[in-house]
Amino acid sequence: MSDDIAVGIDLGTSYSAVATVIDGKPDVLTNEWGERTHASVVSFLEDGTVLVGNSAKRNIITNAENTVYSAKRLIGRFFFSDEVKKAQAVMPYKIVEGPNNSARVQIGERILAIPEVSALVLKEMKAIAETSLGREIRRAVVTCPAYFNDNQRQATKDAGRIAGLEVLRIINEPTAAALAYGFGKDISQRICVYDLGGGTFDVSILEIGRDVFEVIATAGDTYLGGDDFDDRIMAWLAEDFLAKHGVDLRQNKFCLQMLKEAGEKAKIDVGRDGQATIKVEGICQTPEGQVLDLEHVLGVDQFNRMVMDLVQRTFKVCDEALQSARMTASDIDAVILVGAPTRLPIVRQSVRHYFQKEPMAGIDPDEVVAQGAAIQAAALMNRSAASAGQASYLLDVTPLTLRVGTAGGWAEPVIDKNTPIPIEKSKTFTTSRDGQDRVRIRVYQGESKRADECEFLGEFEFSGFRIGYRGDVQIQVAFEIDSNGIVNVSATDTETRQKASTTIHLSSGLSENDIKSAIDKNAEVVLAGHPAS
Amino acid sequence: MDVAFRIEVETLAEALDQLDYFAVLKLAAAATPAEIRAAYHRESRTYHPDRYAAVDDTPFREQIGRIYRRINEAYTVLRDDARRKKYAGDLAGPDRAGKLRFSEDDEAAVKEAQKKRAVEQLGQTPNGRKFYSAALADAQAGRWEGVERNMKMALAYEPGNERFKELLVQAEKNRPKHDFRIK
Repeated sequence: MSDDIAVGIDLGTSYSAVATVIDGKPDVLTNEWGERTHASVVSFLEDGTVLVGNSAKRNIITNAENTVYSAKRLIGRFFFSDEVKKAQAVMPYKIVEGPNNSARVQIGERILAIPEVSALVLKEMKAIAETSLGREIRRAVVTCPAYFNDNQRQATKDAGRIAGLEVLRIINEPTAAALAYGFGKDISQRICVYDLGGGTFDVSILEIGRDVFEVIATAGDTYLGGDDFDDRIMAWLAEDFLAKHGVDLRQNKFCLQMLKEAGEKAKIDVGRDGQATIKVEGICQTPEGQVLDLEHVLGVDQFNRMVMDLVQRTFKVCDEALQSARMTASDIDAVILVGAPTRLPIVRQSVRHYFQKEPMAGIDPDEVVAQGAAIQAAALMNRSAASAGQASYLLDVTPLTLRVGTAGGWAEPVIDKNTPIPIEKSKTFTTSRDGQDRVRIRVYQGESKRADECEFLGEFEFSGFRIGYRGDVQIQVAFEIDSNGIVNVSATDTETRQKASTTIHLSSGLSENDIKSAIDKNAEVVLAGHPAS
Repeated sequence: MDVAFRIEVETLAEALDQLDYFAVLKLAAAATPAEIRAAYHRESRTYHPDRYAAVDDTPFREQIGRIYRRINEAYTVLRDDARRKKYAGDLAGPDRAGKLRFSEDDEAAVKEAQKKRAVEQLGQTPNGRKFYSAALADAQAGRWEGVERNMKMALAYEPGNERFKELLVQAEKNRPKHDFRIK
């Protein structure tokens, strides 16, 4: 039966992976070429097909305008956010404004919402799993950074639906890693997951008690990742090139891509070999027609100096997480490194120094998240769990404080960060005008008391309750955060217990109709390198 | 999954609003933090919604969901010293039935108390702060008589400061007892 299997998908900024549990053990699935991780790059080809993965990555330079990468940096963000502005400056593909302040990607005549792009990556993961397992896959657990807010989680879930998957659960990447580490080991430990990905950084502190994985605290920075390390090398190369030749490579998007590729390669080389030789022939042409090469040698000490402040920033986040957990670094029994940038010696040394402990060996930082997601997927499909109990229980928390907007531009907390989920909490609102027939509530997430410094989630309008004098009608609004970390809001009139009707003004997300048409469009897309389904 | 468990879940989901947080986690009121965590893990093993994710019975899964959200709510309050203190105090009070759940007002009261405490840590008046810091220096050096004298002065300026009172009590306990024997 094709129904009783579900996969775990690590949907990363730079790379994605898919895994499933076979004979009780999580295993990463490979594509036809034996590749275990796949670049989260989507390239729209001229014949109308779509190429996804490592082969699409080569098109970033040759087919730059039609190739989308790092879409995860944009998912669930507003068009006016800093992240989108920054992406517009450096990305070779076109980012345009969509309805409700959303960001969209324009490829030729086509305009795609960001979840639609991510859905193509998920479609590829689904296809890889289907080819590898020889059966249809319809269900998946998809991971996201622990520090993702509601908009980003919702958009990730939408992406899964668009790809034709039933998303059983959105789980946090560090939690998935912890699950893969502790699964079936019968340990009782306090662990710290240090997850430095391509575009995001997360820290989670967990207490593992045999089969129970309790997240005590989580903290993160959704603007810090391996890409920032590349940027440092790129800036150094570009400045030097400008001084030598008087040409700024960053002004041309084609040169910028070559520069980016060189920066990424140099980072990997310097981490592995202690030195990187950078050579890009014919990176640009002067106005006089002279072809210039980029040539440099990057030593490990110089590289370490370049990125030291980025590495230090991760420990500020660690401090915050430990403080929330009311622990110190010495209380941690084991440190788990996740994400490819944690292979860098500078990161490993700094982690060792901070925790005074050797990070756990034998964990693959690229695969552990997908493995954890696969374990969770299998657990959610397990019909015998109800009577026999489960092999593992994830007790996760919400990473950000949920707030409601109040008069004067303030945002008042409703559910604190690091509260275990699922949880619900209600708050009573009274009408402020005579005969008021609707109440409008703006919901935010963030750690600032000022509404404009928090992330806006949406506006809810309640109507259909009793009409009375001001202060007479009390409306109880229930805020719920579900197991995916997604927020739901509902309201009741406290006196009549009548449920008020709710109109949700979506912030930047997709409406139900948008998703339905996106599902159809996605189903029509033919992935290059796979037989049409 | 047997019928007895289904009945138990249904009864528990119905009775949730009559239970206090200690009862939700099946704990004694004097439970230690370690016992609270152990109880949370134990109840999670029984009522975690993931365990029943594959069960084809929506009303049952909703009941489990309600129970588990309440378990999380109980744990959130009881694992936090300040919240637990306020909650336990309310439970012992006259309005027990109305205080079974920790409300937004309780939350606000706890935060207000914490803020007040943070201010009191330093003192609210210039003279109070002056004598308090002198007392802290004395305490560091082990001169408890000096601590007592300074705290009495500080309390003259801030008679209501709980932190000051605590330090005075500590000083009175630690200072050398008057010894009337002739040496």
